Amino acid sequence: MDISVITDTFDAWTDTTLGWISDNGEWLFEFIRSVLEGTYDGVLWLLQLAPFYVIAIIAALLGWRLINALSGVLAGLALVFCAVMGLWTETMSTLALVITATILALFVGIPIGIVAGFVRSFDRFLEPVLDLIQTLPPYIYLLPAIALLGYGPATALIATFIVAMPPAIRLTSLGIRMTPLEFIELGQASGLTTWQMFIKIRLPFAIPSVMAGINQSLMMAFGMVVIAGIVGSGGLGETIYSAVRTLDIATSINAAIAIVILTMVLDRLTQSAARRASGEAR
Amino acid sequence: MNTAMNDSNEVLIDCQSVWKIFGGRAQAAVKAITERGLSKTQVLQDFDCVVGVSDASLQVRRGEIFCIMGLSGSGKSTLIRLLNRLIEPSLGKITVKGKEIARLNATELRDMRARNIGMVFQSVALLPHRTVLENAAFGLEAQGVAKEERHRIARAALEKVGLADWTSRYPRELSGGMQQRVGLARAIAADPEIILMDEPFSALDPLIRRQLQDEFRQLTKSLGKSAVFITHDLEEAIRIGDRIAIMKDGVIVQVGTAEEIVTKPADDYVSDFVAGISRIHLVKAHSVMRPVAEFRNSQPNCDVNALLRASPEADIGELIDLTTQSDRDAVAVVENGTVVGVVTIRGLLRGVAGKPAG
Repeated sequence: MDISVITDTFDAWTDTTLGWISDNGEWLFEFIRSVLEGTYDGVLWLLQLAPFYVIAIIAALLGWRLINALSGVLAGLALVFCAVMGLWTETMSTLALVITATILALFVGIPIGIVAGFVRSFDRFLEPVLDLIQTLPPYIYLLPAIALLGYGPATALIATFIVAMPPAIRLTSLGIRMTPLEFIELGQASGLTTWQMFIKIRLPFAIPSVMAGINQSLMMAFGMVVIAGIVGSGGLGETIYSAVRTLDIATSINAAIAIVILTMVLDRLTQSAARRASGEAR
Repeated sequence: MNTAMNDSNEVLIDCQSVWKIFGGRAQAAVKAITERGLSKTQVLQDFDCVVGVSDASLQVRRGEIFCIMGLSGSGKSTLIRLLNRLIEPSLGKITVKGKEIARLNATELRDMRARNIGMVFQSVALLPHRTVLENAAFGLEAQGVAKEERHRIARAALEKVGLADWTSRYPRELSGGMQQRVGLARAIAADPEIILMDEPFSALDPLIRRQLQDEFRQLTKSLGKSAVFITHDLEEAIRIGDRIAIMKDGVIVQVGTAEEIVTKPADDYVSDFVAGISRIHLVKAHSVMRPVAEFRNSQPNCDVNALLRASPEADIGELIDLTTQSDRDAVAVVENGTVVGVVTIRGLLRGVAGKPAG
């Protein structure tokens, strides 16, 4: 018997299953799609509420408060540069995608990470799953998503969400497990309840690690959101994708610069927020 | 109960033949110990289990500071953690305030730890993101005391350890000695009857350490607390402890007052330990004096009643002072108006050298 028969059977089975799911679960996926796109539209609406210079000023103020005055000025100018390149709308929709996907990833990832931090067996089960998610090429997540949710931002969000979640889970779980033994002893010797121990001892010590996880999730989301341009995510990813298809090198470079700017600004801001959180815990 | 409260001999902590065995086959090892009386080395060989504490029995009385002295690996840190059940005993019975702690359920145990047993750690374990005041109030916070009330009590506790001006600082701004004072304030703020001190001063420099030892003893006595104090330093144990237990390889080798341990060491291990300890303030007149009749026989010319007088509890330091002030070479020991013995220079020298009178 030829091995290829097995794989062919498997492929056929996968196709039928996916077809069956999309036929029978249409109402469900329609619902998921509208929730995702609704959230995305809401965030985007919020970001476009103010003109570009207001967003740039907010970024500058955050940079000043969290890092220093120079970084603040640079962050503000960098965002203004995105607008000057004529890519403001695209930049904001990319930002909206990243924010929505990251928030989703944190909402799911942090609680899972907390449970994994406490339940050793769950963590051991999760480890290979997360390894798998992180080693598979990120394109993979676009395919089932596009089959079920169709072309558009919802598919981009789901794929980005999947890619952004693992670091949040890993670093939250690590943070929970890292509580120094002497503080566990202090909690026990002071007669803390399990809940008090979590809130007063474990969580404060886990916060630096959780914050690092948030930063990592955000960076993963940025990576994925460009790839998601293929499925009509909108924003800079799509700009780059269509520029590549028409060999419009100038536009693709502009969009790439805008992506780099956005990534760097958000990375620095969240990193220093994380450092601030761990600085207080030191 | 009221009579018991005032009884200084009331036993607060009672350990009876407590064992702690670490390892995968601890249960089997415990069985072998109870049935066949296996020794520590046999347990290690046959079961691959380490005996942390072996057949330890001790009683801590109300108002007493009980020191447990041992080198690292002697099991003293394990033993103190058995007293508030941070570590479960493998065998034996531990009673705290008349309750067998192994029988307490989770709520009762939490309550016991929160209200009756405070603990101070070598690492201090001050929460870095909380102020000194919030740290000192931590035990009360665990008990659910309202914020204002617990801050008031914590402030009073910080005042007792001399840190009233530091309440709004963070632990990292304090020196090691001050941090350990906060640790002590945190323990006394919850007003427990028993304070467990796990090598609290080991990491401090000698001068601060002595100062804290004296403060701790004075504070514990003035508040009427009982304490179990772990140390690897015999001088610290002597300075602080009313009674001292010496531990070696998980076994309590000797329990007694500082004087008993220094003058009558139970074995070679203890006598090696006490060899370098100054006897001047430990050895008392009653253990170096000679009977009056014997003194009269050896020095018939000397009038016992004309000698300077000291109480049986006078230490060698005081006796040396008296002898140097007097023109005679002896001091009379007087109890209830009658001369019960005479301390000669020879006796003093024997005392200083750590040899019993003879």
